[in-house]
Amino acid sequence: MTTNKHKKTQWLLLMFIMLMGTYVQAQERNLSGTVTSREDGMALPGVNVLLKGASVGAISDFDGNFTIRIPNNNAVLVVSYLGYETQEVTVGDKTSLKIALKVDQNELEEVVVIGYGTVKKSDVSGAVSSVKSAELTAYPTLNAEQALQGRAAGVAVQSNNGGEPGAPMKVRIRGGTSINASSDALIVVDGFVGASMPAPEDIASMEVLKDASATAIYGSRGSNGVIMVTTKKGVSGKPTLELNTSYSVQNVNHTINLLDANEFATYRNAYSSNYTQGSANTDWQDEIYRTGSISNTQLAFSGGSDTSKYYISGNYYTQDGVVINSNLERFTVLSNVDLDVSDRFRVGLNVFGARSNKDGVSTQAQTGGTGGGDVISSAYRFAPDLGIYNADGTYTINSLGDDIDNPYALATELIDERSVDTYRTNFYAAYDIIEGLEFKTTLGFSSINTQIGTFKPTTILAGSGVGGEASIENRRSTNVLSENYLTYKKALGNHNFTFLAGYSYQKNTNEGSVASARGFVTNEVFYRNLEGGAVTMQPSSFFNESELVSLFGRVNYEYNSKYILTFTARRDGSSNFSKNNKYAFFPSGAIAWNMGKENFLKDSNVINSWKWRASYGATGNPSISPYETLAKFSSVYAVIGDQQVNGVVLTDFANDNLKWETSKQLDLGVDVAFFNNRLDVAFDYYNIKTEDLLFPRPLPEYSGVSSQIQNIGALENKGFEFSINSRNIASEYFTWATAFNFSTNKNSMVKLPDGNDIFIDSAPGHFLQKQTQILREGEPVGSFYGYQYKGVYQGGTLPDGTATFSGDSDPGGELFADLNNDGEISTEDRQIIGDPTPDFILGFNNDFKYKNFDMNLFFQASVGGEILNYTLLELGSGAANATTAMNDAWSATNTDTNVPRPAVREKRITSRYVYDASYLRLKNLSFGYNLPTPFLDKTGIKNARVYVSGQNLLTFTDYPGADPEANYRNDNNERSNTNVGLDYGSYPNVKTFTLGLNLKF
Amino acid sequence: MKIMKKYKITLLLLTLTFLGCSDLEEQPVGVLAPESFFKTTADLQAVINGSFAGLSTESFWGRKLSLTLLLRGDMADIGDQGTSGRRREVNNFTMADDNGMVSAFWPQAYSIIGTANQAISNANLIDEEESKVNEVVAQAYFVRAFTYYHLVRLFGDIPYIDFAVADAADIATISKTPEDEVYANIISDLMFAKQWLPNIQPSSALPSKATAAAYLASVYLTTKEYQNAATEAQFVINKEDDFDLALESDFQDLFNSDKTAGLHEPLFSIDYVGQTRVGNYGQDYIAPVTGIRGDASYDYGEGWSVAVPSLKVYNTWDGRDYRRAVSLDTTATSKEGLVYPYTEFEDYSDLAVNRPHIAKYYRNAGLAGNNGRESSNNYIPMRYAEVLLIAAEALNEINGGAPEAVSYINRLRDRARMETMYPMDVPVGLSQEELRKVIIEERRLELAFEFKRWYDIKRLNIGVEAFGINGLEPQPNFDESRDYLLPLPGPELARNPNLLPNNTGY
Repeated sequence: MTTNKHKKTQWLLLMFIMLMGTYVQAQERNLSGTVTSREDGMALPGVNVLLKGASVGAISDFDGNFTIRIPNNNAVLVVSYLGYETQEVTVGDKTSLKIALKVDQNELEEVVVIGYGTVKKSDVSGAVSSVKSAELTAYPTLNAEQALQGRAAGVAVQSNNGGEPGAPMKVRIRGGTSINASSDALIVVDGFVGASMPAPEDIASMEVLKDASATAIYGSRGSNGVIMVTTKKGVSGKPTLELNTSYSVQNVNHTINLLDANEFATYRNAYSSNYTQGSANTDWQDEIYRTGSISNTQLAFSGGSDTSKYYISGNYYTQDGVVINSNLERFTVLSNVDLDVSDRFRVGLNVFGARSNKDGVSTQAQTGGTGGGDVISSAYRFAPDLGIYNADGTYTINSLGDDIDNPYALATELIDERSVDTYRTNFYAAYDIIEGLEFKTTLGFSSINTQIGTFKPTTILAGSGVGGEASIENRRSTNVLSENYLTYKKALGNHNFTFLAGYSYQKNTNEGSVASARGFVTNEVFYRNLEGGAVTMQPSSFFNESELVSLFGRVNYEYNSKYILTFTARRDGSSNFSKNNKYAFFPSGAIAWNMGKENFLKDSNVINSWKWRASYGATGNPSISPYETLAKFSSVYAVIGDQQVNGVVLTDFANDNLKWETSKQLDLGVDVAFFNNRLDVAFDYYNIKTEDLLFPRPLPEYSGVSSQIQNIGALENKGFEFSINSRNIASEYFTWATAFNFSTNKNSMVKLPDGNDIFIDSAPGHFLQKQTQILREGEPVGSFYGYQYKGVYQGGTLPDGTATFSGDSDPGGELFADLNNDGEISTEDRQIIGDPTPDFILGFNNDFKYKNFDMNLFFQASVGGEILNYTLLELGSGAANATTAMNDAWSATNTDTNVPRPAVREKRITSRYVYDASYLRLKNLSFGYNLPTPFLDKTGIKNARVYVSGQNLLTFTDYPGADPEANYRNDNNERSNTNVGLDYGSYPNVKTFTLGLNLKF
Repeated sequence: MKIMKKYKITLLLLTLTFLGCSDLEEQPVGVLAPESFFKTTADLQAVINGSFAGLSTESFWGRKLSLTLLLRGDMADIGDQGTSGRRREVNNFTMADDNGMVSAFWPQAYSIIGTANQAISNANLIDEEESKVNEVVAQAYFVRAFTYYHLVRLFGDIPYIDFAVADAADIATISKTPEDEVYANIISDLMFAKQWLPNIQPSSALPSKATAAAYLASVYLTTKEYQNAATEAQFVINKEDDFDLALESDFQDLFNSDKTAGLHEPLFSIDYVGQTRVGNYGQDYIAPVTGIRGDASYDYGEGWSVAVPSLKVYNTWDGRDYRRAVSLDTTATSKEGLVYPYTEFEDYSDLAVNRPHIAKYYRNAGLAGNNGRESSNNYIPMRYAEVLLIAAEALNEINGGAPEAVSYINRLRDRARMETMYPMDVPVGLSQEELRKVIIEERRLELAFEFKRWYDIKRLNIGVEAFGINGLEPQPNFDESRDYLLPLPGPELARNPNLLPNNTGY
C-alpha cells in the first residue's frame, strides 16, 4: 500500500513538473537579432551567441542574423567572435536585437603564423611583423612584394626597374646579409618553402620573421628573414562571391630636362669643330612615353560547411606600360580546400597556377656601345636634332658618341618576350593521435617554366650587320617538398609546453637550353623559325639538381602567461655542401617577459601590456650552388681549322671544405600597449654578424685558376626598428588610425680576404670604366669609388690640394682632389665618394573613416642614401645630349659655375655624379565609399565599395635624376648586394590614378 | 576497431613520410671531373684544344694581349683619345702594376698553361701506344712554350709551372724563375714538340714539326744564339716542300678571312669563326679596335679608331710597296656611300683621327658581328715569311752580308712587288751593318701590325730611337731602364711576396 501511495506521489510530482514545464515554456520566446561590426557596420557571420548560464546557443548566419530561444526577459546573451571583444547583452523586452561588436583592440590575442605552426601574439618571443590583407590591397600593385613596401619595420622593398610592367622587386629584411650569395628573404606560402608569391588579393596575411628565434626553424635558409604568406581560406556558411576590380591610368612621374635642338647645337659647337645642326627638334622622351594603364580583376568564391571549407579565386591583371611596346598580362588561379574527415583527421589541398606574358622593352643596358644601348638611356643620349627616320625611311643613328639606334627604333623593333608558367600544389594531412598531439604531413610540388624569345631585326644596328638575330630560351625549375612533423601541446597547471619535431626533404631541379641563329631572309618570323637563320649560333643547355634533408624542432615553454622561453633548432644536410661539411646546425633561443601581467602593472589604467623580448641564434645562407665544390673541367668553345672541336679547360680546383654562410643575430625588443590598447608601440634593436661569407679568394693567377670560393669574410648589419599603431579617434561615426614604422640599418664589411679591398665594376660597358665601387673593411657595402670633384678650374695656379687630368688642364676643366699631391690626377687619387645605404626608411599610414566614407593616406620615405647616377654622368660626357644644366657650362664669360666647359671626356667615376637620394613619397591617397546597406538590400549585394586612388602623387626629393628609387645592374646575387644606389636607363617610375569597385554577394 | 583505424591512418601518413632519403652525394650531369677524364688520346686532344681555345679569348689574342703588343710598339699609336686609360697607359709608357690589359691577359696566359699542364701531366694515364700519345701531347708542349715565350719576353723573370696543379696552396709561395731558365724550358718543350709532331697537320691551327722548329728559330734569335736560329730556320726552309710551305703569291690573301684557311704560308694560326663565340672564347676585337670611326664601308659597321699608326708610319712607307696598300686603309665610306680620304676622317666622327688606319684585319673580316667583332679572321702568329726573315737575320749575324740571307729577303721583295718594280731586290755585297738594317726594316714592313714589332724593338734594344723625337712614334715617357719589361700584376705580388720585387721602375 505504502508503495502504491508513494508511486502516486511520484506521478503527481511528475505531472506537476510537466505542468510547470508548460508554464515555463509559456515564458520562453524566440529572439532574433543581427550582429554587425561596430567599425564598419558589416554583418558578421559565424558569431557565437550563447545564453549565459545555459548550454543553449546559436550561430549567426551569413547576414549576421541569428535566432535563439530565451527563457525570459532576464536572459543575458554572451556574444563572442574571434577578433572582437566579447559582449554581454541583457535582452529585456526586446524582440529583436542589433548587436554591434567592437574589434578586440587587444590585438595581442591575435594569432601569428610562424614556421610550422601558429602562436598567440602575446606568446611571441621573437621579432615578427604582421601585414594584413587590407594593407596589401590598399592600392594596385605589380605584385605582393611591392605591396609590402613601407608596411613593416625592417623590411625594405624596391623595384629593380622603376614602373616596368612585371619588374622584379628586391626585398631586404634587416639589410643584405651576404655579398656573393642571395640576400633575398625566404618566402613560405602556406607552408611551401621557397614558393613564389600569389596575387596580393589572395593573401590573408603576411608575417615577416626577422630575428634568429623566428627564422632558425628554416636553418640554412633563414638568415635573410622569412616571409610567411597565408592565403585566404573559406569560412563556414553560405557561399560568398567577391568581385574586386580596378582600372588605373599611369603616367611617367618625372622626365629629365634635356637640351632641345637649338641648345644642343650651341653645346656641340662649343667643342666640336665639324658639327652641323640637323633639321629636326625631337623630344625623345615624348616619343617613347605614353599614358599606360592597368586593369586588375579578381573573382573569388568561398564558403563551406562545418567540415569543409573552400576558397577559389581567379585574377586577371593586364598592364600597358608607360613606355611604348611594354606590356604585361597575368592570370592567376588559387584554390584552397580544407576537409575535416573526422574530428581527428583533416586534409587539405592548396593549388596555385599562374601564367604571365611580358612583352618587354630594353632598359638598363649593360653596355651602350655601338649597336648597344636601351630604350631609356637612348632617349636621354640621342641627338635632339635628328628625327626618327632618315630621308630613306631607315631609322636614324646617333650622331655623337657610339653609334646607337634611336629609342623609338629600339622600342618598336626589338622583340623581347617572356612567358612564365608557375604551377604549385601542396597537399596536407593532419591527424590528432592523442589529445594535444598532432601529426602533420605535407607533400608539395612546384614547377616554374619560362620561355624567353628575342629578336633583333635588321632594321636596328644590333641586327643589321648580322642579318637579324633570334634566340629562344627555355628554363624549368621544379621543386618537390615533403615535410612531416609532430606538434604536442601540454598544460601542467600554469606550465604550458609546446613541442615541435619534424623531418623535411626537398629536391630542386633546374634545367634550361638556349638556341639562337642569325642571318634571316626576313624580319617577319621572329624567334619562331630559327632554322630560317643562315648562321646557327652555339646552342647551350644545363642541368643541376640539389637535395636538402632536414631535421627541425622547437620547444615553447610559457609560465603563467608571464615568462616565455623558446628554443629552436634545425639541422640541414645539403648535397650542394662540400665533402667535409655536408650538415649544418642552426640553434636559437629566445626569452620574453610579459611584464604587464605582473602585479605592479596588472591594474594600470595607462599601460595594458608590456613585453620584453630577447633572442639570439644562428641561421644560414646556403649560398653554395650545385657542383660548386667539385673540381671541374669545363667545356669551352674551341676552333681548329675553322671547325668547331671539343675543348675543355680546367676551371675549378676541388673545394672540400666550403661551408654555408652563418648569421648570428641578437635581437632585443619591447612591445607596449597603452590607453585601452589604442596605442601599440614596438621597438627592436638587432645586430647581425654574418660570418664565413663566401668570397672568391683570388688564387695565385699563375696556378691557372684565378679564384676559388672560400669562407673568408664577415659582414655586420645592425639597426633599430620602431613601429606605432595608434587608433587616434574611435568614435561611432569617425575613426582615424595611424600606423608608423621606422627602421635604420647600418651595414659594414668586417672582414675581407686578407684584408684587401675588393673592387666592383658596375659601369655600363661602353663607359670603359672599372672599379666603380669598393668593398673595404669598416665601410658600407657598395661604397662608390672614384675622384672627388672640386669644381671648375678657372686657370692660373691650381687651388690647394686639387689638380686636373693631363688632357683637361685648360681653364674650364674639371678639378679633382689630388690626394697624393703630385700635381696631377691619376688612379691613385681615387677614394670613397659615396654611400648608397639610407640612414633610415619609414612608412606612415593613415586610415580615416566617416560613416560610409573612408580615406587612406600612405607615405613612404628613404633618407640619407646616395645614388651614383651613370645617366647624368653620360649626359655630361660630351658623347651624348646633355641636360639643361649644360646651358650653364663654364666659358670665358661664364666662370661662376660648377659645370665644366663642354668637351668630350672619359666617363670617369667622380663625386660630381653622386647625389643625395633621400625622398618622401605619397605612395597612396584613396577615397572610398561603402554603398549604404538599405540600398544594397534590394540588390542581393552584401557589400559594395567604390574608390578612387592615386599612387606616387607627390615626391619630395632633391635628387636630380629621373627617380630616387633607382636600381641598375641588380640582377643576380652578387650584384643585388653590391650594386646599390646606381641609376642608369631604368624604366621610369609612374604616377597612377585608379578607379576601383569591390563587391560582395 | 578504433585502434585499427588509428593505426591505418598513421600507416597511411607514414607512407607519405619516407618520400626522400638521400646520401647527399652529388651526381653531376654535364660536368666533367678531371680525375676520371683521361682515357683516350681523343680526351687528351680535347684538353689541348681547350688550351688552344684559350689563345682565342678576348683576354688573349682576341684583344687584350694583341692590342697591348700593337700599342706598345712604334707602328700603332692611340687614335681616339677618349679610349680607356689602360690602353693609353700601355701606349704612352705610363703603366702601373694595376694596368687593366696586363690584369686580363696574365691570368688567361696561365689558364692556357694550366690546361696544357693537365694534358702533359696526365698523358701517362692513357693506355695507348707511346708514340701515338707523344704525337698528341707534343701539341701541349708547343702551346705551353708558345705562351711562356710571350710571358718571358713581356715580363722577364716569371713564375714557371710545368705540372698539373691540384691545389693552389701547393704553389702559393714559389719564387720567380729567372729569364734564362724560362728560355731553357721553352727550348726544351719546343724540342720535344719538334721531335714528335708530324710534318703536316690538317690545319695550321695545330702545330707541326715545322711550327716547332720555326718557334725554336725565333726563340734562338731572341736569345741571340744565331747559329741555332739559322739551323732551325733552315731546317724548315730546306724542307719547305715536305712541310707544304710556300709564300702566297698575293700578300693580300694573308689578310683575307675567306682565304686564310687554305693558305700554305701560315705555320701557326689562331682561328675564328665569324659571328660565333661563347663568352670570352672565340671573341676577337682586332677589327674594331683598328678600324675607322664613322666608316660605313662594311656590313658590320664602323671601327673604333683605337690603335692607329702615326702619320709618319704612312708617310715613310714607299707608296709603291704593295704591302702598304694591303696594310693600311687611306679612305673610308660615309653612310651615304661617299668615299672620303683620311684627311677628312674626323669630319665624320668626333672620335676619329685623320690618319690612315690598319687594314689587315678590318678590311676583310668576313662574316662578323657588329664593328667586325667576332670576325672570321684567322690570325697568323707565325708564317713562312718570318722564317725567311729569321734565317736571313741569323745568317747575317753569323756571316755579315751572307748571300743566302740576301736571297731570303729577295724572296719576300719579289712577292711584295706585285707587277711593279718596287721594292727592288737587295743587292749582294752589303756590309753586315747595312744588311742588318735592311732586314730589320723588312721585318717591320712585312710583318707590320702582326704583333711582332714590340718584341723586335726590345730584342734589338732600339726603343730610344723608335720613341725618340725622330722616331715613328715619339713617346716622351719612354724609359729604357724600365719600359722593356711590363709590370707583373700588383695583386699577384701581394698574394705571394716571394715574387717581389716587381720589375724595375714599377
